Amino acid sequence: MKVVVLIKRVPDTASELQVAADGKSVVTGGLKFVMSPYDEHAVELAIQLKESHGAEVVVLSAGPPETKEIIRSALAMGADSGILVDTAQLGALTCRGTARLLAAALADLGADLVVAGKQAVDDDAAQVPERVAELLGIPHASVITRFELSGTTASVDREIEGGQYTLELPLPALFTTQKGINTPRYPTLPNIMKAKKKEIREVPAAQLGLAADSLSAQATTEAMTLPRQQRLCRVIEGDNAQRVKELVRVLHMEEKVL
Amino acid sequence: MPDKLADMRTIKFLLHEVLKLEELTQYPYYEDHSRETLDMAADTAYQLAHEVFWPSYQEFDQEGAQFDGHKVAVPKAMHEIWKQCAEGGWIGPNVSYDDGGQQFPITIHALACFLFNCGNTAAAMYLGLTYGAAHLIKTFGSKELQDLYMAKLFAGQYAGTMVLTEPDTGTSVGDMTTTASKSPDGDYYLLRGNKRFISGGDHDLTENIIHAVLARTEGAPPGIKGLSLFIVPKYRVNGDGSIGEWNDVTTTGIEHKMGLKGSATASLTFGDKGDCRAWLVGELNHGLRYMFELMNMARVFTGMQAVGVASAAYHCALEYSRTRLQGRDITSRDPLEPQIPIIQHPDVRLMLLKQRAVVEGCLGLFLYCARVHDQEHAVTDPEEQQRLHMLLEMLTPCCKAYGSDAAFESIRLAIQCHGGSGYSEEYPVAQMLRDCKVFSIYEGANGIQALDLLGRKVPMKGGMALQALNAEVSKTIAEAKELAPLKDLADKIESLQNEVVQATMHLGMLGLSGKVNQYLCNATAYLEMFSHLAISWQLLMQAVVAQKVLDAGSTEENFYRGKIETARCYAGYNVPHGIATAQMLTADERTALDFKPEWF
Ligand SMILES: Cc1cc2nc3c(=O)[nH]c(=O)nc-3n(C[C@H](O)[C@H](O)[C@H](O)COP(=O)(O)OP(=O)(O)OC[C@H]3O[C@@H](n4cnc5c(N)ncnc54)[C@H](O)[C@@H]3O)c2cc1C
Repeated sequence: MKVVVLIKRVPDTASELQVAADGKSVVTGGLKFVMSPYDEHAVELAIQLKESHGAEVVVLSAGPPETKEIIRSALAMGADSGILVDTAQLGALTCRGTARLLAAALADLGADLVVAGKQAVDDDAAQVPERVAELLGIPHASVITRFELSGTTASVDREIEGGQYTLELPLPALFTTQKGINTPRYPTLPNIMKAKKKEIREVPAAQLGLAADSLSAQATTEAMTLPRQQRLCRVIEGDNAQRVKELVRVLHMEEKVL
Repeated sequence: MPDKLADMRTIKFLLHEVLKLEELTQYPYYEDHSRETLDMAADTAYQLAHEVFWPSYQEFDQEGAQFDGHKVAVPKAMHEIWKQCAEGGWIGPNVSYDDGGQQFPITIHALACFLFNCGNTAAAMYLGLTYGAAHLIKTFGSKELQDLYMAKLFAGQYAGTMVLTEPDTGTSVGDMTTTASKSPDGDYYLLRGNKRFISGGDHDLTENIIHAVLARTEGAPPGIKGLSLFIVPKYRVNGDGSIGEWNDVTTTGIEHKMGLKGSATASLTFGDKGDCRAWLVGELNHGLRYMFELMNMARVFTGMQAVGVASAAYHCALEYSRTRLQGRDITSRDPLEPQIPIIQHPDVRLMLLKQRAVVEGCLGLFLYCARVHDQEHAVTDPEEQQRLHMLLEMLTPCCKAYGSDAAFESIRLAIQCHGGSGYSEEYPVAQMLRDCKVFSIYEGANGIQALDLLGRKVPMKGGMALQALNAEVSKTIAEAKELAPLKDLADKIESLQNEVVQATMHLGMLGLSGKVNQYLCNATAYLEMFSHLAISWQLLMQAVVAQKVLDAGSTEENFYRGKIETARCYAGYNVPHGIATAQMLTADERTALDFKPEWF
């Protein structure tokens, strides 16, 4: 069985973001990049399948050459090999372009299972994996919190508004992982050393034979601003009855959260 | 709760831009490593510190280690921390492949120690002691001892301890009374005695605890020359590696401490039933020497522990100062103007800056020492090895004593930034202050470090060690003078260097004329002055790198400017202090010597 994990290199959410002088991009100098945290759950799921079913685990990412660092992290968690679709020569990509690149790279890999994080924490678009599945013509289920394999059928739970949705899908299929499905492991030092010797195949995007206009961005960024941080604290005075009344009024009328 | 315990960007700066750690990979022992493996290890250590150590920090303080009259239980969260570290290979990352390690530079091990201490200092204790015991066996133990214990210690299946202190014997190790007598029917000794303050002396983390104990054999010479080192397991280990009988090691209690409560500090009785078996490590009467050979790095690590806690406290203070709104600019006249974050008050900013300078200066010094240690082990030229070793000898007392005292002071400032909230246990900084105090006491109290610096290290090899260090300091100063914006800073630090040299020569004359007591009576002040120079030098080294990057054009101007101004701040406040101390020393201040105990 072959499991392919789609991962993305994103700025660490703990780092302090600065908008660049052009007002449309983020200053990347000094920024720390990591594997998007939801993707770690996908890698963990794949490695567990390696342990339980002897699956071969390949991680696949599209991005600039530095993306190899996060591919290496996935290898240090236990994945077997990596593929980087090098997008250095391409302009800005949107979900459409990225999905087409990944689908093209997947085409001849013969994956029985494709897994990815439910969304990347930079753009929060939650589109790429589903687009990939559609392009490949395989079934998919997103935001899964449980995964079980029997034969060539996967049984999963999806997290849905106010409930849980259990599905069975025939393989090959694609799934996106939600927190709670597992606890991603930390790379161990021995595995960090082993990861060094594992192969990362680099595929220049141009080699995938996709027409430039099929990858071009469909949207342009006009402006970027940091969310304004505000901490307002307000103490409501009076006896309990008065305070509850006032609190409800504030929440309803002023803050409009009720 | 802070989001951040340490600044990884600064750490990468130190590892790669300042210390050029990657250059080690040209030597055979490190040849499998690369920037990537070093970075991955550093990043994973931070992740563990942040996600595995830190969440239970306050819990460790509240729950503490528990003693039920028979046995000791560690805080519940400790089990998972131990498991992650043992499985991850974090007990001995620098150990050779043959011994189960990954041959990382000790610089990476030291960094991991720092980061784990940022996260949860009491928890990190168990790891360090286990490494210490294993390292002793590896370096000095027989093949039999190594086969029985070493792999299991490095893998975290067993834990280790270092056992010196007795109820009546702390600093004056040579006065200890625990005895070992050769057993008539075996290859072992029978141990008898009481030990106190033994970190990790008993707990329920592992199936066995391996004590590295100093004791005196019958007929051994008095004092430190009669101490031998023994391996004493809590449970005997059978030839096939299985756990055997209890080895007559009894826990009589644990300390109720000011801090570090999650670390069990046990009182142990060896041989209450007359059957505590101990196996000699190396040769008879060489015990203290063995311990001392590992002492340099152990003491650097103690400084690391302290400054790790100070780093976490600093980041708490920084976050608090950015978000706490209080008061207005001193020139503001309008009471309705919104209040400003306290970081905008110069006094608060200065407190933050002083903390930052201590954290980054000391961390720089520790990693520098670890890097020197790695280099010493990598190179083959004996002269270069000796030079590197002397640098380490000179700097070790500063790492341990200045590191721990400056860390405590730094955390005091972190509390001060928090105002009343800092005094409340609701915020973690109060605990950090309590936890950090011990680092000035154990592993050789700071007063003893000062005596070591002035009494042993300064005169070492006819002053050659001091000269070797001075040459390094001069090299950095000369480099800084080449960079126009750093010239004044370099001059300032050079003026302190000159004063230190003068004061040392003056003291040297006292020493040569046999006035030993007078020579040493201000050793602590000397160590502080010396450390002000050492830290100024380290920060200058960082500033030189930063200035060069800025001159070449960088998108990270804030980061590199911050490095330069931190060096300027530290020197600005501490060079005058160091110079004043030097003048005090040359003026033969000797109240400490003359004030009679009965005048108190
Ligand atoms: C939390 C904790 C954990 C510890 N863990 C361990 C451990 O794992 N293993 C272990 O063996 N020990 C351990 N210790 C013991 C520790 O190493 C000793 O407390 C320390 O060595 C000091 O000894 P003491 O407490 O007897 O103080 P003392 O030796 O009585 O010293 C008291 C003061 O007098 C000064 N002083 C003493 N002698 C001299 C001298 N000759 N010249 C000048 N000044 C002097 C000291 O600097 C100190 O300030 C631990 C202690 C603590 C608190």
